[in-house]
Amino acid sequence: MSDRETLLDMRQVTTHYGPIRVLHNVDMQIYPGEMVCLLGGNASGKSTTLKTILGIVRVSEGEMYFRGERADTLTTAERIERGMAVVPENRRIFPKMTVRENLEMGSYLRNDRKGIREDMDYVISLFPRIGERLNQMGGTMSGGEQQMLAMGRALMSRPKLILMDEPSMGLAPLFVEKIFEIIKTVNDEGISVFVVEQNANVALSVADRGYVLQTGEVVLSGPAQELLANEDMKKAYLGDV
Amino acid sequence: MAAITTTAGRRAIPWGWIFGLGIPALVLARIYYLVNVVEVRDYAFFIGAMVQSLQLGSLYALIALGYTMVYGIIRLINFAHGEVFMVGAFISYFLFSGAPFALPWALLWSAVLAWGVAFILNLWRGSMTHPTVIAGGLVAFAALTFLLSTFQVNWVAALLLSMLFTGVLGVVIDRVAYRPLRGAPRISLLITAIAVSFLLQNTGLIVFTRNQTPFRPETDWTAFLQFDVLGGTVYTSRLMFLIPILTAVLVTALTLFVTRTRLGKAMRASAQDAETAQMMGINVNRVIATTFLLGSMLAAAGGFLWGLNFGSLNQPAVMGILPGIKAFAAAVIGGIGSLPGAVIGGLLLGFLENFMTALFPRQGDFPGLTEFKDTFAFALLIVVLLVRPSGIVGEDLSEKV
Repeated sequence: MSDRETLLDMRQVTTHYGPIRVLHNVDMQIYPGEMVCLLGGNASGKSTTLKTILGIVRVSEGEMYFRGERADTLTTAERIERGMAVVPENRRIFPKMTVRENLEMGSYLRNDRKGIREDMDYVISLFPRIGERLNQMGGTMSGGEQQMLAMGRALMSRPKLILMDEPSMGLAPLFVEKIFEIIKTVNDEGISVFVVEQNANVALSVADRGYVLQTGEVVLSGPAQELLANEDMKKAYLGDV
Repeated sequence: MAAITTTAGRRAIPWGWIFGLGIPALVLARIYYLVNVVEVRDYAFFIGAMVQSLQLGSLYALIALGYTMVYGIIRLINFAHGEVFMVGAFISYFLFSGAPFALPWALLWSAVLAWGVAFILNLWRGSMTHPTVIAGGLVAFAALTFLLSTFQVNWVAALLLSMLFTGVLGVVIDRVAYRPLRGAPRISLLITAIAVSFLLQNTGLIVFTRNQTPFRPETDWTAFLQFDVLGGTVYTSRLMFLIPILTAVLVTALTLFVTRTRLGKAMRASAQDAETAQMMGINVNRVIATTFLLGSMLAAAGGFLWGLNFGSLNQPAVMGILPGIKAFAAAVIGGIGSLPGAVIGGLLLGFLENFMTALFPRQGDFPGLTEFKDTFAFALLIVVLLVRPSGIVGEDLSEKV
């Protein structure tokens, strides 16, 4: 795989919150069209990794490249313009804005009206439920609908890479599977997906590759099938007997 | 059987109905009493009071919008807003009156505002040293110095220019005083706001004047107007049209801005969830600067109209204080953070102030309530905070996590 060009390449990335080191020499690659999941327990640095990729948290040591370009010096807005989009933890829909306005916020940095309209239609075709509720307030939607909306909002920037933070959080098990089907659908369209997830079973069953994070360091990585079969993995995260 | 009381079983007290119907009924009864029973007033007097209430309420609404917008987006009660209102009024005064504005002070103001213009341009160009930004700042500096020190314009231009200058001043205040404190405890921000307020008061004393200032631009809108209605005569001025209409236009423009434009929607998004807005690529600092720009522009319009309405401006150290805290009370009464709330709260306050004095005139030994005019706003504030802390149209505060 290493001869292919990376979409996102993190090289020895370290980050700090004030004096406290959160990530330590994280090496991580995402290739075009791939779906990669990042697993780990509480406080392992999963969300921080995502925030670092997006530029909300600054890289203190190491380098990050996005589509071949040095990215750790770019602002969040510049990274989004270059093709990143995020589905935040707990979905974070704007509650007092309509569904349509929520989608428009996803395309905030774009100026091509025609393209935006096409993408709006595409999102609606992907999630017909959203299309039925365009004029409803975001806050009145159910958890599952909000997850679809958050996904649609991310797609509105026509991204190359979607970053998802705990998509299964707070959803019924049946819906978790459905959400991952949706993620798979989006991934099949050629958009790379990076999922941060605690629910290792579901995530690994759809992802191509996975990384396991422990107290800010990558302790395990490899193809999803290998991780599913890994003995340590089973004991620590998969909860298999 | 043991009596079990649950909140679900208890009927909620319909405060909305009690206040909505009860108070107008009481007011009408009192008016009937004053006109037909003791015969100390005629109906036209109360029509006049309504006209005045609408004027005063519009002014409070214009100021209250600035409080509510800033609170909505950075959760700061901007105590300097009353002083921004004062500065807006005085800038328009110097522009239309042709009163001498000493060159050194004109240079000082121009430098501050020109830097503000450059800063606003920089928010879109991305660098303070971009040629457009530097050129814009220099042009603004030259134009402002010329305008403030020598030029005299008509009242419309004075209003518009004052809105522009005061808007820029609002952005400068945010950049210099508040932005370095983003992420600091809220109390630090609040104390800074009070400091800015004192700074503007005293700058006003040095730069503008130390005296009460007559405010009489050349316009027909202040001409007296009287008309007969319900067997009496109402004495008023043409301002009864100008002030509410201009307010309605500005409020409509603001509403269209926040609901139709991309930047306006970004403003609402940032107010609801700044972190997520940032994740959508929204430049939150730019949005906050826009908020200060618009809020201060509305305050300047309010300041100009305030001058027209009362015919004079109080001296700079006190002019902004009472209107400022009353408008703040109006914003809280309406529901702070809500634009319609600020307008409703402002109008309500205008009506309350005028009608309490109109309904309880001097009668025999009773001295009337005129002396207590300024206390009504705060009495209502206390009642609203007790009965409905989130304000009239405010969202339930317990929802906020």
